[in-house]
Amino acid sequence: MHSETPNINIRDAALVEQCQGGDSAAMESLILRYQNRIYNVILKICANPDDAAELTQETFVKIIESIDRFQGRSTFYTWAFRIAVNLTLNYCQRSAKLGLRSLDAEGYAHDTQARQVLREFLSDDSAPDPAAVAQNKELCEIAFESLMKLNDEQRTVVVLRDIEGMHYAQIAEVLDIELGTVRSRLSRARNNLREIIEAVCNEDESKYRRITE
Amino acid sequence: MKMNQNIDELLNSYIDGELAKGQQAEVQQLIANEPEIAVRLRQLEACKVLVSCLPRAEAPAETLQRMTASLQRRALSVQHPLSSEINESATYLLTRRIAAVAAVVGVVAVLAAVVYTMVAPGTSPDKLPAKALLAAADFSGRLELETSDFVRVDAFLNRAIEDNGLLDCLTSASLQDRKVYSLSCAKGHLNLLLADLGGIWQRFDSATLFVETEKFSEPVVVNAITAGQTTEILNQDSLKKCTAVAKDIAVLNNVAELMPGREVFAAMGDNGPGLMTIPKPVLTWKKKMAKDLESPAEKTERVSLTIVLAGSK
Repeated sequence: MHSETPNINIRDAALVEQCQGGDSAAMESLILRYQNRIYNVILKICANPDDAAELTQETFVKIIESIDRFQGRSTFYTWAFRIAVNLTLNYCQRSAKLGLRSLDAEGYAHDTQARQVLREFLSDDSAPDPAAVAQNKELCEIAFESLMKLNDEQRTVVVLRDIEGMHYAQIAEVLDIELGTVRSRLSRARNNLREIIEAVCNEDESKYRRITE
Repeated sequence: MKMNQNIDELLNSYIDGELAKGQQAEVQQLIANEPEIAVRLRQLEACKVLVSCLPRAEAPAETLQRMTASLQRRALSVQHPLSSEINESATYLLTRRIAAVAAVVGVVAVLAAVVYTMVAPGTSPDKLPAKALLAAADFSGRLELETSDFVRVDAFLNRAIEDNGLLDCLTSASLQDRKVYSLSCAKGHLNLLLADLGGIWQRFDSATLFVETEKFSEPVVVNAITAGQTTEILNQDSLKKCTAVAKDIAVLNNVAELMPGREVFAAMGDNGPGLMTIPKPVLTWKKKMAKDLESPAEKTERVSLTIVLAGSK
Protein backbone atom coordinates (compact mmCIF):
# COMPACT_ATOMS: atom_id res chain seq x y z
CA MET A 1 0.00 0.00 0.00
CA HIS A 2 1.30 3.43 -0.84
CA SER A 3 1.47 5.67 2.13
CA GLU A 4 2.72 8.66 0.15
CA THR A 5 -0.51 9.16 -1.76
CA PRO A 6 -1.91 12.05 0.31
CA ASN A 7 1.46 13.79 0.30
CA ILE A 8 2.02 13.94 -3.40
CA ASN A 9 -0.39 16.77 -4.04
CA ILE A 10 1.92 19.67 -3.21
CA ARG A 11 4.75 18.45 -5.41
CA ASP A 12 2.29 17.55 -8.17
CA ALA A 13 0.66 20.97 -8.09
CA ALA A 14 4.00 22.68 -8.63
CA LEU A 15 4.94 20.36 -11.49
CA VAL A 16 1.56 20.79 -13.12
CA GLU A 17 1.90 24.55 -12.95
CA GLN A 18 5.32 24.34 -14.58
CA CYS A 19 3.93 22.04 -17.26
CA GLN A 20 1.17 24.50 -18.01
CA GLY A 21 3.87 27.14 -18.44
CA GLY A 22 5.46 25.01 -21.15
CA ASP A 23 8.15 23.38 -18.99
CA SER A 24 8.79 20.04 -20.63
CA ALA A 25 11.19 19.00 -17.87
CA ALA A 26 8.35 19.26 -15.38
CA MET A 27 6.20 17.07 -17.56
CA GLU A 28 9.03 14.58 -17.76
CA SER A 29 9.18 14.58 -13.98
CA LEU A 30 5.48 13.86 -13.76
CA ILE A 31 5.82 11.02 -16.22
CA LEU A 32 8.69 9.50 -14.30
CA ARG A 33 6.74 9.96 -11.11
CA TYR A 34 3.66 8.14 -12.30
CA GLN A 35 4.52 5.92 -15.22
CA ASN A 36 5.17 2.77 -13.17
CA ARG A 37 2.15 3.22 -10.94
CA ILE A 38 -0.17 3.89 -13.83
CA TYR A 39 1.28 1.03 -15.85
CA ASN A 40 0.91 -1.31 -12.87
CA VAL A 41 -2.73 -0.42 -12.32
CA ILE A 42 -3.52 -0.71 -16.01
CA LEU A 43 -1.78 -4.08 -16.21
CA LYS A 44 -3.67 -5.41 -13.19
CA ILE A 45 -6.93 -4.40 -14.84
CA CYS A 46 -6.31 -5.44 -18.43
CA ALA A 47 -3.85 -8.31 -17.74
CA ASN A 48 -1.92 -7.86 -20.97
CA PRO A 49 1.58 -6.31 -20.74
CA ASP A 50 1.65 -5.06 -24.34
CA ASP A 51 -1.79 -3.52 -24.11
CA ALA A 52 -0.89 -2.05 -20.73
CA ALA A 53 2.18 -0.39 -22.26
CA GLU A 54 0.07 1.04 -25.08
CA LEU A 55 -2.60 2.25 -22.68
CA THR A 56 0.01 3.83 -20.43
CA GLN A 57 1.47 5.74 -23.34
CA GLU A 58 -2.00 6.73 -24.47
CA THR A 59 -2.76 7.94 -20.96
CA PHE A 60 0.28 10.20 -20.87
CA VAL A 61 -0.36 11.52 -24.35
CA LYS A 62 -3.84 12.47 -23.20
CA ILE A 63 -2.44 14.05 -20.06
CA ILE A 64 0.06 16.07 -22.11
CA GLU A 65 -2.61 17.16 -24.55
CA SER A 66 -5.01 18.29 -21.87
CA ILE A 67 -2.70 19.51 -19.12
CA ASP A 68 -3.47 23.11 -20.08
CA ARG A 69 -7.15 22.50 -19.37
CA PHE A 70 -6.48 20.94 -15.97
CA GLN A 71 -7.95 23.43 -13.50
CA GLY A 72 -7.09 21.73 -10.24
CA ARG A 73 -10.66 20.96 -9.22
CA SER A 74 -9.33 17.50 -8.40
CA THR A 75 -5.76 16.50 -7.64
CA PHE A 76 -3.49 15.69 -10.54
CA TYR A 77 -3.12 12.23 -9.05
CA THR A 78 -6.83 11.34 -9.27
CA TRP A 79 -7.16 13.19 -12.60
CA ALA A 80 -4.34 11.17 -14.15
CA PHE A 81 -5.68 7.88 -12.84
CA ARG A 82 -9.15 8.76 -14.01
CA ILE A 83 -7.80 9.10 -17.52
CA ALA A 84 -5.88 5.85 -17.21
CA VAL A 85 -8.78 3.86 -15.76
CA ASN A 86 -11.29 5.21 -18.26
CA LEU A 87 -9.02 4.32 -21.16
CA THR A 88 -8.43 0.87 -19.72
CA LEU A 89 -12.08 0.12 -19.01
CA ASN A 90 -13.01 1.27 -22.50
CA TYR A 91 -10.34 -1.01 -23.85
CA CYS A 92 -11.69 -3.90 -21.76
CA GLN A 93 -15.21 -3.31 -23.05
CA ARG A 94 -14.03 -3.21 -26.65
CA SER A 95 -11.93 -6.33 -26.17
CA ALA A 96 -14.81 -8.18 -24.54
CA LYS A 97 -17.12 -7.25 -27.40
CA LEU A 98 -14.55 -8.39 -29.93
CA GLY A 99 -13.88 -11.57 -27.98
CA LEU A 100 -10.21 -10.69 -27.63
CA ARG A 101 -10.10 -11.38 -23.90
CA SER A 102 -10.18 -15.03 -22.96
CA LEU A 103 -9.54 -14.79 -19.24
CA ASP A 104 -12.79 -16.50 -18.37
CA ALA A 105 -11.85 -19.48 -20.43
CA GLU A 106 -8.63 -19.99 -18.54
CA GLY A 107 -8.75 -22.81 -16.04
CA TYR A 108 -6.61 -23.33 -13.03
CA ALA A 109 -3.70 -25.60 -13.50
CA HIS A 110 -1.94 -25.30 -10.20
CA ASP A 111 -0.42 -28.31 -8.64
CA THR A 112 -1.48 -29.82 -5.35
CA GLN A 113 1.36 -28.17 -3.46
CA ALA A 114 0.28 -24.71 -4.57
CA ARG A 115 -3.28 -25.34 -3.52
CA GLN A 116 -2.14 -26.63 -0.17
CA VAL A 117 -0.07 -23.50 0.43
CA LEU A 118 -3.08 -21.37 -0.41
CA ARG A 119 -5.36 -23.41 1.84
CA GLU A 120 -2.98 -23.00 4.74
CA PHE A 121 -2.72 -19.31 4.10
CA LEU A 122 -6.47 -18.84 4.15
CA SER A 123 -7.04 -21.01 7.22
CA ASP A 124 -4.27 -19.42 9.24
CA ASP A 125 -5.88 -17.74 12.22
CA SER A 126 -2.93 -15.46 12.69
CA ALA A 127 -2.58 -12.22 10.83
CA PRO A 128 -1.31 -12.81 7.26
CA ASP A 129 2.30 -11.93 6.59
CA PRO A 130 2.46 -9.91 3.39
CA ALA A 131 6.18 -10.48 2.99
CA ALA A 132 5.71 -14.23 3.06
CA VAL A 133 2.95 -14.03 0.49
CA ALA A 134 4.97 -11.82 -1.82
CA GLN A 135 7.82 -14.32 -1.79
CA ASN A 136 5.51 -17.18 -2.70
CA LYS A 137 5.26 -17.23 -6.46
CA GLU A 138 2.43 -19.78 -6.51
CA LEU A 139 0.27 -17.67 -4.24
CA CYS A 140 0.86 -14.61 -6.35
CA GLU A 141 -0.12 -16.42 -9.52
CA ILE A 142 -3.32 -17.69 -7.94
CA ALA A 143 -4.09 -14.27 -6.56
CA PHE A 144 -3.54 -12.63 -9.92
CA GLU A 145 -5.63 -15.16 -11.80
CA SER A 146 -8.39 -14.91 -9.20
CA LEU A 147 -8.35 -11.16 -9.52
CA MET A 148 -8.78 -11.49 -13.24
CA LYS A 149 -11.91 -13.53 -12.68
CA LEU A 150 -13.70 -10.55 -11.18
CA ASN A 151 -15.72 -8.41 -13.48
CA ASP A 152 -14.14 -5.17 -14.68
CA GLU A 153 -15.93 -2.92 -12.16
CA GLN A 154 -15.05 -5.03 -9.12
CA ARG A 155 -11.52 -5.72 -10.29
CA THR A 156 -10.90 -2.02 -10.82
CA VAL A 157 -12.05 -1.04 -7.36
CA VAL A 158 -9.93 -3.78 -5.77
CA VAL A 159 -6.89 -2.78 -7.80
CA LEU A 160 -7.27 0.90 -6.92
CA ARG A 161 -7.65 0.10 -3.23
CA ASP A 162 -5.40 -2.89 -2.58
CA ILE A 163 -2.72 -2.38 -5.23
CA GLU A 164 -2.63 1.38 -5.76
CA GLY A 165 -3.65 2.08 -2.17
CA MET A 166 -6.20 4.78 -2.84
CA HIS A 167 -8.61 6.01 -0.20
CA TYR A 168 -12.30 5.41 -0.83
CA ALA A 169 -12.81 9.08 -1.62
CA GLN A 170 -10.09 9.00 -4.23
CA ILE A 171 -11.57 5.86 -5.78
CA ALA A 172 -14.94 7.59 -5.89
CA GLU A 173 -13.33 10.53 -7.66
CA VAL A 174 -11.44 8.38 -10.15
CA LEU A 175 -14.45 6.26 -11.01
CA ASP A 176 -16.90 9.14 -10.66
CA ILE A 177 -19.16 7.19 -8.32
CA GLU A 178 -20.57 7.74 -4.84
CA LEU A 179 -18.53 6.88 -1.76
CA GLY A 180 -21.19 4.39 -0.67
CA THR A 181 -20.94 2.71 -4.05
CA VAL A 182 -17.21 2.32 -3.55
CA ARG A 183 -17.84 0.76 -0.15
CA SER A 184 -20.42 -1.73 -1.37
CA ARG A 185 -18.62 -2.54 -4.60
CA LEU A 186 -15.39 -3.22 -2.80
CA SER A 187 -17.18 -5.38 -0.26
CA ARG A 188 -18.81 -7.49 -2.98
CA ALA A 189 -15.54 -7.69 -4.87
CA ARG A 190 -13.60 -9.00 -1.91
CA ASN A 191 -16.34 -11.44 -1.09
CA ASN A 192 -16.31 -12.76 -4.63
CA LEU A 193 -12.55 -12.87 -4.66
CA ARG A 194 -12.57 -14.87 -1.48
CA GLU A 195 -15.00 -17.37 -2.97
CA ILE A 196 -12.98 -17.64 -6.18
CA ILE A 197 -9.83 -18.38 -4.22
CA GLU A 198 -11.63 -20.96 -2.09
CA ALA A 199 -12.93 -22.57 -5.25
CA VAL A 200 -9.36 -22.79 -6.50
CA CYS A 201 -8.30 -24.44 -3.26
CA ASN A 202 -11.08 -27.00 -3.57
CA GLU A 203 -10.62 -27.47 -7.32
CA ASP A 204 -14.29 -26.67 -7.59
CA GLU A 205 -14.42 -25.19 -11.04
CA SER A 206 -18.20 -25.27 -11.18
CA LYS A 207 -18.38 -23.08 -8.11
CA TYR A 208 -15.80 -20.74 -9.53
CA ARG A 209 -17.84 -20.44 -12.71
CA ARG A 210 -20.97 -19.55 -10.74
CA ILE A 211 -19.05 -16.83 -8.96
CA THR A 212 -17.74 -15.26 -12.10
CA GLU A 213 -21.00 -15.45 -13.99
CA MET B 1 -19.53 -18.47 5.50
CA LYS B 2 -22.06 -15.92 4.41
CA MET B 3 -21.97 -12.66 6.27
CA ASN B 4 -24.40 -9.85 6.29
CA GLN B 5 -23.55 -7.38 3.54
CA ASN B 6 -23.52 -4.47 5.96
CA ILE B 7 -21.15 -6.32 8.31
CA ASP B 8 -18.89 -7.07 5.36
CA GLU B 9 -18.83 -3.41 4.32
CA LEU B 10 -18.10 -2.43 7.90
CA LEU B 11 -15.28 -4.96 8.19
CA ASN B 12 -13.77 -3.92 4.86
CA SER B 13 -13.88 -0.29 5.88
CA TYR B 14 -12.25 -1.25 9.16
CA ILE B 15 -9.48 -3.11 7.33
CA ASP B 16 -8.95 -0.19 4.99
CA GLY B 17 -8.88 2.36 7.82
CA GLU B 18 -11.91 4.18 6.43
CA LEU B 19 -13.89 4.28 9.67
CA ALA B 20 -14.13 7.08 12.17
CA LYS B 21 -12.62 6.43 15.59
CA GLY B 22 -16.00 5.73 17.17
CA GLN B 23 -16.89 3.19 14.50
CA GLN B 24 -13.49 1.57 14.83
CA ALA B 25 -14.08 1.06 18.53
CA GLU B 26 -17.48 -0.47 17.83
CA VAL B 27 -16.00 -2.88 15.29
CA GLN B 28 -13.21 -3.84 17.63
CA GLN B 29 -15.78 -4.60 20.28
CA LEU B 30 -17.82 -6.62 17.80
CA ILE B 31 -14.76 -8.64 16.78
CA ALA B 32 -13.92 -9.32 20.36
CA ASN B 33 -17.43 -10.51 21.17
CA GLU B 34 -18.32 -12.35 17.95
CA PRO B 35 -15.92 -15.15 16.91
CA GLU B 36 -17.62 -15.52 13.50
CA ILE B 37 -17.02 -11.89 12.75
CA ALA B 38 -13.43 -12.25 13.84
CA VAL B 39 -12.97 -15.15 11.43
CA ARG B 40 -14.59 -13.21 8.68
CA LEU B 41 -12.30 -10.30 9.35
CA ARG B 42 -9.26 -12.54 9.00
CA GLN B 43 -10.60 -13.93 5.71
CA LEU B 44 -11.05 -10.48 4.29
CA GLU B 45 -7.64 -9.39 5.51
CA ALA B 46 -6.04 -12.44 3.90
CA CYS B 47 -7.81 -11.62 0.67
CA LYS B 48 -6.60 -8.07 0.80
CA VAL B 49 -3.04 -9.07 1.59
CA LEU B 50 -3.03 -11.61 -1.20
CA VAL B 51 -3.91 -8.96 -3.77
CA SER B 52 -1.81 -6.18 -2.35
CA CYS B 53 1.25 -8.39 -2.32
CA LEU B 54 1.13 -8.99 -6.05
CA PRO B 55 4.45 -7.99 -7.55
CA ARG B 56 4.56 -4.51 -8.94
CA ALA B 57 5.14 -4.26 -12.62
CA GLU B 58 7.27 -1.49 -14.04
CA ALA B 59 6.49 0.38 -17.19
CA PRO B 60 8.61 -0.53 -20.23
CA ALA B 61 11.79 1.47 -20.49
CA GLU B 62 10.76 3.03 -23.80
CA THR B 63 7.68 4.60 -22.23
CA LEU B 64 9.57 7.70 -21.21
CA GLN B 65 11.30 7.92 -24.59
CA ARG B 66 7.96 7.82 -26.35
CA MET B 67 6.60 10.42 -24.00
CA THR B 68 9.70 12.56 -24.48
CA ALA B 69 9.15 12.49 -28.21
CA SER B 70 5.59 13.66 -27.63
CA LEU B 71 6.88 16.34 -25.29
CA GLN B 72 9.36 17.60 -27.90
CA ARG B 73 6.59 17.90 -30.45
CA ARG B 74 4.49 19.73 -27.91
CA ALA B 75 7.42 21.96 -26.91
CA LEU B 76 7.84 22.99 -30.56
CA SER B 77 4.22 23.98 -30.77
CA VAL B 78 4.51 25.90 -27.51
CA GLN B 79 7.64 27.75 -28.60
CA HIS B 80 6.14 28.99 -31.83
CA PRO B 81 2.49 29.48 -31.20
CA LEU B 82 2.56 33.15 -32.06
CA SER B 83 4.37 32.73 -35.36
CA SER B 84 2.07 29.95 -36.40
CA GLU B 85 -0.94 32.03 -35.43
CA ILE B 86 0.46 34.97 -37.37
CA ASN B 87 1.08 32.78 -40.38
CA GLU B 88 -2.43 31.46 -40.20
CA SER B 89 -3.84 34.96 -39.89
CA ALA B 90 -1.69 36.27 -42.73
CA THR B 91 -2.71 33.38 -44.93
CA TYR B 92 -6.33 34.01 -44.10
CA LEU B 93 -6.07 37.72 -44.84
CA LEU B 94 -4.15 37.11 -48.06
CA THR B 95 -6.76 34.62 -49.18
CA ARG B 96 -9.50 37.12 -48.44
CA ARG B 97 -7.71 39.85 -50.36
CA ILE B 98 -7.12 37.62 -53.36
CA ALA B 99 -10.76 36.61 -53.29
CA ALA B 100 -11.83 40.26 -53.12
CA VAL B 101 -9.58 41.27 -56.03
CA ALA B 102 -10.80 38.30 -58.03
CA ALA B 103 -14.39 39.32 -57.34
CA VAL B 104 -13.73 42.91 -58.45
CA VAL B 105 -11.97 41.73 -61.61
CA GLY B 106 -14.86 39.43 -62.31
CA VAL B 107 -17.42 42.20 -61.89
CA VAL B 108 -15.41 44.54 -64.13
CA ALA B 109 -15.09 41.82 -66.75
CA VAL B 110 -18.82 41.19 -66.69
CA LEU B 111 -19.57 44.91 -66.95
CA ALA B 112 -17.08 45.25 -69.79
CA ALA B 113 -18.71 42.37 -71.59
CA VAL B 114 -22.13 43.91 -71.11
CA VAL B 115 -20.96 47.31 -72.35
CA TYR B 116 -19.19 45.74 -75.30
CA THR B 117 -22.31 43.83 -76.20
CA MET B 118 -24.30 47.05 -76.12
CA VAL B 119 -21.94 49.15 -78.22
CA ALA B 120 -20.14 46.67 -80.45
CA PRO B 121 -20.66 47.56 -84.15
CA GLY B 122 -22.80 45.24 -86.16
CA THR B 123 -24.20 43.33 -83.25
CA SER B 124 -27.41 45.32 -83.15
CA PRO B 125 -28.57 47.73 -85.82
CA ASP B 126 -30.59 49.69 -83.33
CA LYS B 127 -27.67 50.34 -81.06
CA LEU B 128 -25.35 53.24 -81.53
CA PRO B 129 -21.58 53.00 -81.84
CA ALA B 130 -19.62 53.69 -78.72
CA LYS B 131 -17.28 56.54 -78.03
CA ALA B 132 -14.40 54.19 -78.43
CA LEU B 133 -15.41 53.65 -82.00
CA LEU B 134 -15.81 57.37 -82.51
CA ALA B 135 -12.30 57.91 -81.38
CA ALA B 136 -11.06 55.52 -84.02
CA ALA B 137 -13.01 57.07 -86.88
CA ASP B 138 -13.56 60.62 -88.14
CA PHE B 139 -17.10 59.79 -89.01
CA SER B 140 -19.43 57.25 -87.58
CA GLY B 141 -23.04 56.98 -88.46
CA ARG B 142 -25.98 54.88 -89.39
CA LEU B 143 -27.86 55.26 -92.65
CA GLU B 144 -31.35 53.85 -92.55
CA LEU B 145 -32.87 53.30 -95.98
CA GLU B 146 -36.37 52.10 -96.69
CA THR B 147 -37.42 50.80 -100.06
CA SER B 148 -40.37 49.01 -101.53
CA ASP B 149 -38.03 47.29 -103.94
CA PHE B 150 -36.02 45.61 -101.27
CA VAL B 151 -34.68 42.66 -103.25
CA ARG B 152 -33.32 44.66 -106.15
CA VAL B 153 -31.90 47.39 -104.01
CA ASP B 154 -30.25 44.84 -101.76
CA ALA B 155 -28.75 43.07 -104.73
CA PHE B 156 -27.49 46.39 -106.06
CA LEU B 157 -25.97 47.29 -102.72
CA ASN B 158 -24.22 43.95 -102.46
CA ARG B 159 -22.77 44.34 -105.89
CA ALA B 160 -21.66 47.89 -105.19
CA ILE B 161 -19.89 46.79 -102.00
CA GLU B 162 -18.15 44.05 -103.89
CA ASP B 163 -17.21 46.27 -106.83
CA ASN B 164 -15.66 48.83 -104.52
CA GLY B 165 -13.57 46.25 -102.72
CA LEU B 166 -15.32 46.69 -99.39
CA LEU B 167 -15.98 43.04 -98.62
CA ASP B 168 -13.02 42.92 -96.29
CA CYS B 169 -14.40 45.87 -94.33
CA LEU B 170 -17.91 44.53 -94.14
CA THR B 171 -19.90 42.92 -91.42
CA SER B 172 -23.42 42.10 -92.48
CA ALA B 173 -26.43 40.65 -90.78
CA SER B 174 -29.87 39.67 -92.03
CA LEU B 175 -32.87 40.30 -89.88
CA GLN B 176 -36.54 39.69 -90.61
CA ASP B 177 -37.29 42.59 -92.92
CA ARG B 178 -33.95 44.31 -93.08
CA LYS B 179 -30.31 43.86 -93.79
CA VAL B 180 -27.52 45.51 -91.92
CA TYR B 181 -24.21 46.37 -93.54
CA SER B 182 -21.55 47.64 -91.19
CA LEU B 183 -18.65 49.19 -92.98
CA SER B 184 -15.44 50.38 -91.42
CA CYS B 185 -13.20 51.50 -94.21
CA ALA B 186 -11.23 54.29 -95.82
CA LYS B 187 -13.19 57.43 -96.45
CA GLY B 188 -12.47 57.27 -100.17
CA HIS B 189 -13.90 53.83 -100.57
CA LEU B 190 -17.08 54.81 -98.81
CA ASN B 191 -17.39 57.82 -101.11
CA LEU B 192 -17.30 55.51 -104.12
CA LEU B 193 -19.98 53.33 -102.60
CA LEU B 194 -22.19 56.33 -101.89
CA ALA B 195 -21.67 57.53 -105.44
CA ASP B 196 -22.97 54.22 -106.70
CA LEU B 197 -25.90 54.35 -104.30
CA GLY B 198 -26.71 57.83 -105.53
CA GLY B 199 -27.74 56.23 -108.82
CA ILE B 200 -30.61 54.38 -107.17
CA TRP B 201 -31.36 56.89 -104.38
CA GLN B 202 -34.79 57.62 -105.86
CA ARG B 203 -35.79 54.06 -105.05
CA PHE B 204 -35.55 54.79 -101.34
CA ASP B 205 -38.83 55.74 -99.77
CA SER B 206 -36.96 57.25 -96.91
CA ALA B 207 -33.37 57.87 -96.06
CA THR B 208 -32.27 58.90 -92.60
CA LEU B 209 -28.72 59.43 -91.42
CA PHE B 210 -27.79 59.23 -87.77
CA VAL B 211 -24.47 60.96 -87.23
CA GLU B 212 -22.74 60.05 -84.00
CA THR B 213 -21.52 62.93 -81.93
CA GLU B 214 -19.17 63.20 -79.00
CA LYS B 215 -22.14 62.78 -76.72
CA PHE B 216 -23.00 59.17 -76.36
CA SER B 217 -26.45 58.18 -77.64
CA GLU B 218 -27.19 61.67 -78.86
CA PRO B 219 -26.78 61.43 -82.62
CA VAL B 220 -27.73 64.13 -85.11
CA VAL B 221 -30.68 62.85 -87.10
CA VAL B 222 -30.82 63.96 -90.70
CA ASN B 223 -34.12 63.07 -92.34
CA ALA B 224 -34.62 62.78 -96.09
CA ILE B 225 -30.93 62.84 -96.68
CA THR B 226 -29.47 62.41 -100.11
CA ALA B 227 -26.35 60.55 -101.16
CA GLY B 228 -24.61 63.85 -101.83
CA GLN B 229 -25.41 65.18 -98.39
CA THR B 230 -24.16 61.98 -96.81
CA THR B 231 -20.89 62.28 -98.68
CA GLU B 232 -20.52 65.89 -97.72
CA ILE B 233 -20.97 65.08 -94.06
CA LEU B 234 -18.54 62.22 -93.93
CA ASN B 235 -15.91 64.10 -95.90
CA GLN B 236 -15.42 66.64 -93.13
CA ASP B 237 -11.98 66.40 -91.60
CA SER B 238 -13.10 66.11 -88.00
CA LEU B 239 -15.94 64.69 -86.03
CA LYS B 240 -16.86 68.12 -84.83
CA LYS B 241 -17.24 69.40 -88.38
CA CYS B 242 -19.17 66.31 -89.36
CA THR B 243 -21.59 67.00 -86.56
CA ALA B 244 -21.94 70.67 -87.47
CA VAL B 245 -22.62 70.01 -91.16
CA ALA B 246 -25.05 67.25 -90.28
CA LYS B 247 -26.99 69.60 -88.05
CA ASP B 248 -27.17 72.23 -90.80
CA ILE B 249 -28.40 69.75 -93.36
CA ALA B 250 -30.89 68.31 -90.87
CA VAL B 251 -32.42 71.77 -90.41
CA LEU B 252 -32.55 72.42 -94.12
CA ASN B 253 -34.15 69.07 -94.87
CA ASN B 254 -36.72 69.51 -92.14
CA VAL B 255 -37.67 72.96 -93.49
CA ALA B 256 -37.95 71.49 -96.97
CA GLU B 257 -40.25 68.79 -95.68
CA LEU B 258 -42.53 71.41 -94.16
CA MET B 259 -42.71 73.66 -97.22
CA PRO B 260 -46.24 73.99 -98.77
CA GLY B 261 -46.97 72.31 -102.06
CA ARG B 262 -45.06 69.20 -101.24
CA GLU B 263 -48.25 67.10 -101.56
CA VAL B 264 -48.73 68.42 -105.07
CA PHE B 265 -45.27 67.43 -106.13
CA ALA B 266 -45.83 64.04 -104.65
CA ALA B 267 -48.98 63.64 -106.68
CA MET B 268 -47.00 64.48 -109.81
CA GLY B 269 -45.22 61.21 -109.35
CA ASP B 270 -41.84 60.63 -110.81
CA ASN B 271 -41.78 63.83 -112.80
CA GLY B 272 -39.68 65.23 -110.09
CA PRO B 273 -39.58 68.51 -108.44
CA GLY B 274 -40.05 71.63 -110.48
CA LEU B 275 -39.32 75.21 -109.80
CA MET B 276 -41.11 75.10 -106.49
CA THR B 277 -38.86 72.44 -105.12
CA ILE B 278 -36.91 73.61 -102.15
CA PRO B 279 -33.33 73.64 -103.30
CA LYS B 280 -31.11 71.48 -101.28
CA PRO B 281 -27.54 72.44 -100.58
CA VAL B 282 -25.47 72.45 -103.72
CA LEU B 283 -22.75 69.92 -103.62
CA THR B 284 -19.60 69.78 -105.54
CA TRP B 285 -18.52 66.48 -104.12
CA LYS B 286 -18.07 64.73 -107.46
CA LYS B 287 -15.45 67.17 -108.46
CA LYS B 288 -13.87 67.02 -105.08
CA MET B 289 -13.91 63.27 -104.93
CA ALA B 290 -11.41 62.72 -107.71
CA LYS B 291 -9.12 65.13 -105.99
CA ASP B 292 -9.66 63.52 -102.60
CA LEU B 293 -8.87 60.07 -103.84
CA GLU B 294 -5.54 61.30 -105.03
CA SER B 295 -4.61 62.28 -101.49
CA PRO B 296 -3.08 59.22 -99.82
CA ALA B 297 -3.44 60.74 -96.39
CA GLU B 298 -7.20 61.09 -96.69
CA LYS B 299 -7.44 57.75 -98.38
CA THR B 300 -6.37 56.14 -95.20
CA GLU B 301 -8.84 58.07 -93.03
CA ARG B 302 -11.17 55.56 -91.48
CA VAL B 303 -14.91 56.05 -91.35
CA SER B 304 -17.63 53.86 -90.03
CA LEU B 305 -21.05 53.63 -91.54
CA THR B 306 -23.80 51.16 -90.85
CA ILE B 307 -26.34 50.94 -93.63
CA VAL B 308 -29.66 49.52 -92.58
CA LEU B 309 -31.71 48.54 -95.62
CA ALA B 310 -35.34 47.84 -94.78
CA GLY B 311 -38.41 47.02 -96.83
CA SER B 312 -41.18 49.62 -96.79
CA LYS B 313 -44.43 48.66 -95.10
